[in-house]
Amino acid sequence: MARVSVTKPSTFQQYKTLLGKDLRQEFRTREMLTSMGIYAFLVIIVYGAALALTARNLDIMRMGGGLLWVLIVFTSLLGLARSFAHEKEQGCMEGILMVPLDRSVVFLAKTTANFLFMLVVEVIAVPLFYFFFMSAEQVAPSFVWIVVPLLVGTLGMAGIGTMLSTITMNTRAKDVMLAVLFIPFIYPLLYACVTATTTAIMGTEFWIDFFVMPLVLACGYDVVMLLVCWVLYDFVVSA
Amino acid sequence: MVNKGKKVVKVPEAGQWPDKVTLPALIAGTVLTTAGFLMAFFYAAPVNGAALDAPELVGDVMVTHQQLLSQKIFYFHMPVAIVSFVALVFAAYYAIRFLTTREQRFDTCSRIAMEISLLFVVFTMITGDLWTRFEWGVWWTWEPRLTTYLILMLIVIAYFVLRNAVDDPERRAVYSSVVSIIALVDVPICFMITRLIPSSIHPVVAREGGMSPDMAATVVVVMIGMMLVAFGLYRLRFRQARLQERMDALKEQLED
Repeated sequence: MARVSVTKPSTFQQYKTLLGKDLRQEFRTREMLTSMGIYAFLVIIVYGAALALTARNLDIMRMGGGLLWVLIVFTSLLGLARSFAHEKEQGCMEGILMVPLDRSVVFLAKTTANFLFMLVVEVIAVPLFYFFFMSAEQVAPSFVWIVVPLLVGTLGMAGIGTMLSTITMNTRAKDVMLAVLFIPFIYPLLYACVTATTTAIMGTEFWIDFFVMPLVLACGYDVVMLLVCWVLYDFVVSA
Repeated sequence: MVNKGKKVVKVPEAGQWPDKVTLPALIAGTVLTTAGFLMAFFYAAPVNGAALDAPELVGDVMVTHQQLLSQKIFYFHMPVAIVSFVALVFAAYYAIRFLTTREQRFDTCSRIAMEISLLFVVFTMITGDLWTRFEWGVWWTWEPRLTTYLILMLIVIAYFVLRNAVDDPERRAVYSSVVSIIALVDVPICFMITRLIPSSIHPVVAREGGMSPDMAATVVVVMIGMMLVAFGLYRLRFRQARLQERMDALKEQLED
């Protein structure tokens, strides 16, 4: 007599499966990455027009951090709005919810996926931004440190964004709704990350003091927000 | 069993004991805030006992009588801001109660606490803006406290935009509860930001050398008054919303 043995997959296994599903879907369709990448490029082109007359005498190093983050915020907004759209269209969400798993695993997997997509876009967008606006300037040696605020900021934005796009998935006018919620909630994070990025780009004397403080605040906000979202996700996704 | 087979419809109850104290609370609140207004001008001395007839040296700064008078806004600005924070705390508290019990009543509580909070947030913005205009000479500046408080206002507004964008009542209640809990994260940030960022030019009472007893008395009177006004408004609005829900439920019951 054949025995059927069923072992419950571990939480990490579930996480890997869910994450793998998102990544595989993205690699097959390349829907989000292309739209986000092109959008980021377009924003850079628009910057070119906006700064056309001032670029020569403008202190681009001082403004660069802010402009870069504007680019990242709007690009991620676009990606986040899409991230649950196809789940809903193809009924994938119902399938996931039928599986007896801890719902916060869904949150973690989706956050990781969004985080990775946003990182890929940043890997393309930041060098492009440098190429178009900063290559004519003398760059401070501390420039490479902008990686740290970029990582911290993107992580927080992915977490908060995943939560909010789950909420707005079922609302009317979802894209507008996502922006209305997303921008106020990431604002403290954005403020801290812009400060840290600008400090690193400028690289003046004692820059490290002004670099660490906002980063600590940003990390704190990340931790609190990710924990709160992680706890509350179960309610949101089952509603 | 008499009730067997008969559908038992739960009608939302309305009218609890706090309704009896609503009106006294509102009246007391009005009286106290009015008293506070008069105290601010006739009882509390200008900062450091400065006279109003000529520019005076306070600390190391020369201030005009206009600035000494605009300081009076503080007696309303701070209590109103504190009440807006308290209302947000209550909104989040009721949101947690809703998520654990799933009773519609707590969702209504949370929503109305949020409405009261919006009202007081707007008051804070208005009083703050008037003060900024006279003290700093600008209508708006991107100072950390002002910025975080503006964000708090946007979050409260977003809460109501979200409520309007969801049709299903059950879902709307869950979503808005979650948002009001996340909104609570911004309250301590907004409160602590002037202490965290030393370059912030927004005054902190302790940093300005504390309050003299007459100033503290005025603040306390206005604070209690504003709390009572907020409580009274909350209960009135709650009763109205609750009666509305009760009426809708009864109508539905009659139609069946």
